[in-house]
Amino acid sequence: MRIAVCIKQVPDSTQVKVDPATGTLIRAGVPSILNPYDHYALECALKLKKETGAEVCVVSMGPPQAQEVVRLALALGADRGILLSDRAFAGSDTWATSYALSQALRHLGGVDLIMCGVMAIDGDTAQTGPGIACQLGIPQITFCDEISVAGTTVRAKRLIEGGHETVEAGFPALATMSLPHEYERAYPSFRQIAAAQEKPYEVWTVATIHADPKFLGLNGSPTRVDRVYAPSARERGTIFTGSPAEIVARFLEILKQENFVK
Amino acid sequence: MITVSEKCVGCTKCVSACPFGATEMRGKKAVITDKCTLCGACVEVCPVKAISIGRQELTGDISGYSGVWIFTELADSPDGGHSVRPVTFELLSAGRGLAEKLGEKLCAVVIGKNAAVHTAELAAYGAEKIYVCENENAEHYTTDLYANIMVSLIKKHKPAIVLYPSTYVGRDLAPRIASELYVGLTADCTGLSIKEGNLLQTRPAFGGNIMADILCPGARPQMATVRPNVMKKNEPQPGRTAEVVCENVAVDKDKLRVRIVERHLDHRHCGGKIEDSEVVISGGRGMKDDKGFKLLAGLAEQLGGCVGASRAAVDMGLHPKSHQVGQSGTTVSPKLYVACGISGAVQHVVGMSGAETIIAVNKDPNAPIFNVCKYGFVGDARQVVEKITESLKNGK
Amino acid sequence: MPIDTVSRNLMLDSLKKYAVRRLPYDTIRELDSANEFPADILKEMYNPDILGLHLLLIPREQGGLGGSTVDIYRVCEMLARIDLGVATSVFATFLGSDPLRVGGTPEQKEKWMRRIGEECLLVAYGATEADAGSDLINLRTRAERVEKDGKITGYKITGNKQWISNGGVADLYTVLAMAPGGPSWFLVERGTPGFEPNKHEDKHGIRLSNTAALSFDEAFVPAENLIGEKEGQGLMQAQAVFGYTRLMVAAFGLGAGEEAVETAIRYSQQRIQAGGPLSQKQGYTHKLIVPHEIKFEAARAYIDHVARRLDGDAHGLQTEGAIAKYYATEAGNKAAEDSIQALGGYGYTRDFPVEKIKRDVKITCIYEGTNEIMEMTIYRGRWQEHLKSRGQYYADLGRELEALHAQSADVGADSAALCLKALAVILEQCREQKLTRQQYTSFKLGELIAKAEVAMVFSRSAADKNYTEGVKVDRDTLKAMARVCARETALEVALEGVKLVLGGGTGSAAELTGATGLIAIEDKQRGVMNDKDFIAAKLNEVYRSK
Repeated sequence: MRIAVCIKQVPDSTQVKVDPATGTLIRAGVPSILNPYDHYALECALKLKKETGAEVCVVSMGPPQAQEVVRLALALGADRGILLSDRAFAGSDTWATSYALSQALRHLGGVDLIMCGVMAIDGDTAQTGPGIACQLGIPQITFCDEISVAGTTVRAKRLIEGGHETVEAGFPALATMSLPHEYERAYPSFRQIAAAQEKPYEVWTVATIHADPKFLGLNGSPTRVDRVYAPSARERGTIFTGSPAEIVARFLEILKQENFVK
Repeated sequence: MITVSEKCVGCTKCVSACPFGATEMRGKKAVITDKCTLCGACVEVCPVKAISIGRQELTGDISGYSGVWIFTELADSPDGGHSVRPVTFELLSAGRGLAEKLGEKLCAVVIGKNAAVHTAELAAYGAEKIYVCENENAEHYTTDLYANIMVSLIKKHKPAIVLYPSTYVGRDLAPRIASELYVGLTADCTGLSIKEGNLLQTRPAFGGNIMADILCPGARPQMATVRPNVMKKNEPQPGRTAEVVCENVAVDKDKLRVRIVERHLDHRHCGGKIEDSEVVISGGRGMKDDKGFKLLAGLAEQLGGCVGASRAAVDMGLHPKSHQVGQSGTTVSPKLYVACGISGAVQHVVGMSGAETIIAVNKDPNAPIFNVCKYGFVGDARQVVEKITESLKNGK
Repeated sequence: MPIDTVSRNLMLDSLKKYAVRRLPYDTIRELDSANEFPADILKEMYNPDILGLHLLLIPREQGGLGGSTVDIYRVCEMLARIDLGVATSVFATFLGSDPLRVGGTPEQKEKWMRRIGEECLLVAYGATEADAGSDLINLRTRAERVEKDGKITGYKITGNKQWISNGGVADLYTVLAMAPGGPSWFLVERGTPGFEPNKHEDKHGIRLSNTAALSFDEAFVPAENLIGEKEGQGLMQAQAVFGYTRLMVAAFGLGAGEEAVETAIRYSQQRIQAGGPLSQKQGYTHKLIVPHEIKFEAARAYIDHVARRLDGDAHGLQTEGAIAKYYATEAGNKAAEDSIQALGGYGYTRDFPVEKIKRDVKITCIYEGTNEIMEMTIYRGRWQEHLKSRGQYYADLGRELEALHAQSADVGADSAALCLKALAVILEQCREQKLTRQQYTSFKLGELIAKAEVAMVFSRSAADKNYTEGVKVDRDTLKAMARVCARETALEVALEGVKLVLGGGTGSAAELTGATGLIAIEDKQRGVMNDKDFIAAKLNEVYRSK
């Protein structure tokens, strides 16, 4: 069985800040990480590998620096790493990204199960997974909490509004993994990292995957960014400091004033 | 492609503006490297307009597309039937404005086993035309069935805009359709308007740190998803009529590749969904432990509200994830939101900034929550909550 | 294949994430107060399924990862950022296995290195004694031969060792003892009868590192535990690795110091006094922050340069190791001191990390050779070069820097050139007037040589298109730092040099001023304030408070 995990390198958005003066992102000193949702998806794939002996390949579309997350994935236990990197990909929206990744997966061939995180923490769209499934013409199972494989069937427990449902689909299929809220990311040991250097790692370009340039980059993207700006600052309200008793008194006054109590 | 012209004066503003570290200075000139994703942040910030992005517009045939469509999501009712999920009405309200601006029709699409029963309600919230698609396999949402039907309907009727709720259903369905049709889809829009005949979609990115305006000028329909509690819901007008069109799209059973094995709906905590509550008392790390959250429940009870939590508190196990407020939780827009011991990081604020009145209590006078609240109190949240609850109980 | 940069960074990241999880600040504080060695943490760090970082020092042939000097100094820097006591414990294992690595027979290496790797053994290096610290010649621990039928079957070791890191907790000890044939290293296992570690010392700093005296009373070790199976090789085996071990301690000074100053930078952005944050006040930044960050980048450039030479064809490099150790640990120590000042009252309390870092980093000026010994070693090493080259050694280097300046005019190479030429003049004066007979003068020359060489390497590094690993500032900032470093170092070396010559000898101040190029050096000071302003602003961008 062959599992392909799509992973992305993202800036750690919990550390990104906006310069209030210029309204632009301050990126200096912000580290790049493996998208936490993809990190979890990879760990789920590695668990399936343990249970079934499956081969796990990771594919990442990104600039040359994204090599770091592919190597991290290899160190965590993936068998084969592919970096899909080409200037032609720059400016791709989720459609063009899904196209590129699905071409790469076609080129990889023989993939039974594709896994990825529900979303990337920089774009937050959650669209790429379903986009890949659609372009490959395979069923999708999104927002999965748990996943297992029996023969050529994948079974997953997924989130629905107000609860869960368990679904099944036959291979090939795509699953997107939701992040469990007590999740602690696993990091490889030094030995795993050194061993990963020997694992197959390739860099693929537009030519390698026979992608049609008209479907890539800015020109291939149906959506485009009109502009990017800092969220408008709200007007700062009134702040009170005082003794606990004073605070309580003022709080109650406000509740009455604003009609939240009689 | 992106170019830096001779106009560059070496001010380095583009270097710090780039979210991807793709700009560097070589000598006195800015140079853009491989890491560039053409997001345009540097173009914005260059004081001499030295940077430009050239592109060929993706031009599909956009003629003949008309109408604003709202995808109707049905929720399970306790009695075994279905009801229209309230977010649909919010979308209809937002869609009304767009349709009027365009001079086109506002329509609703409802798919289900017994979809026709919902037309009156949809009409009451403004739908002028309702496409009803009844299918015996459509009792519960599955991707293949719903996507097939929607794609069929869209190809046949050519709407200019289609809006979906950003729920588990909408976020599963909309990208599938967008991919199939090769059209643009923008997720989690917080703002929708018309600009030069196109749908201008505004959404947060980078965990809420930045806002982006998106357009799809060359493809139709333009599609977007919107979270519940973001758009204002208009008052319904019961008795309003709409044109009902029955579209029964046949889908081969073997095209339905994902089988539902079982479904399980959890019981709600704190009596009621947090999204529907008019008063939300929310706790963060500053509430420290279960005792702290019990205090919040006490206050919520007094004020007729529900208890929410920041991600930090949920991660500490103090409150269920179903009531997590924020970027990776739920968006709420109650009349009153009280943030207790919550620092107010962007990821949280994104989930509650639509509240009418925000009150915050935090020990740290520099907590960012104080930048978004109407009233802020610098103090120990636990103490304050406890004392206020007591006072309210004693009828003060 | 050797560990590449991506793998190295992944290792550092795994180590950092491990520390965030298992050694949060509160835990370290408690251990520091309790004077407790975190045995379970060290075990986990050695566990090959968790981190297994000790595998870097075990050669691949014996089942390890065969880390390069670069790998090891980068890990040492990260460990020092986490806790210098934990770093010292890891270092002690590295140090303790060095005599084996350089002096062991193939059988000994195979047996013991493999055991250390597989069994995750903690090792201790037992050299220092009460009366023999800097001066190992006074070694009193002795090893008496035990013979049977005319063959040496083993040795009985008697004596005492002091200040041994991992002394109370190690599984294996490499002990320096005076055998009939001379100082020799012996492998002593924990629990050997007659061998007893003493109690854990109550120290000023690095309290998470177990430090204990060792007592040997006719402790018997078999003959195959004599490293190299030949007596008298001990001092040579110890010396052979100094270049290497000094680099590790240099990385400690760098890591601990950086951690302190970064804390200060973040604090200064939040502390508002007199209408604005301290981070915007020159009187604060240019005294307590900027000079240290400049020295750290200089130290980093130098450590990296020497490490890569050792990983290449070079051997020994003991003098270079001494320069690195001396420069980086002095820098770390001063930076930690200033970081307490930078945090004011808060810095003085235990809630903030800087007072602990100050207590910890002091040891780096003492162990692995006191910094006074380093001064002497540096002077001795380079004095030979000066004599051998008939005074041309630094003049030649000066010319190389002038050539560099012609290609890269923005890295202070011109000032570095002036500095080296001034140094050549000073050394020549000292030779002519026989001033190095004054010990103070020779030690001071060691200090000046170290500073001059680091400034030289820093300028070269800033001009190089390859970025040194671990640099967090951008290229323009790095160049500004190299410029300030070169300019200020040139001034210091020239002035201090003149002071030495005139103070201890004779001569005309005017002539000496001319010969050392002091006027030209003073001229180069123009623009230093602007550079410092630029650096301060960039540091505030890179190290943003949360």
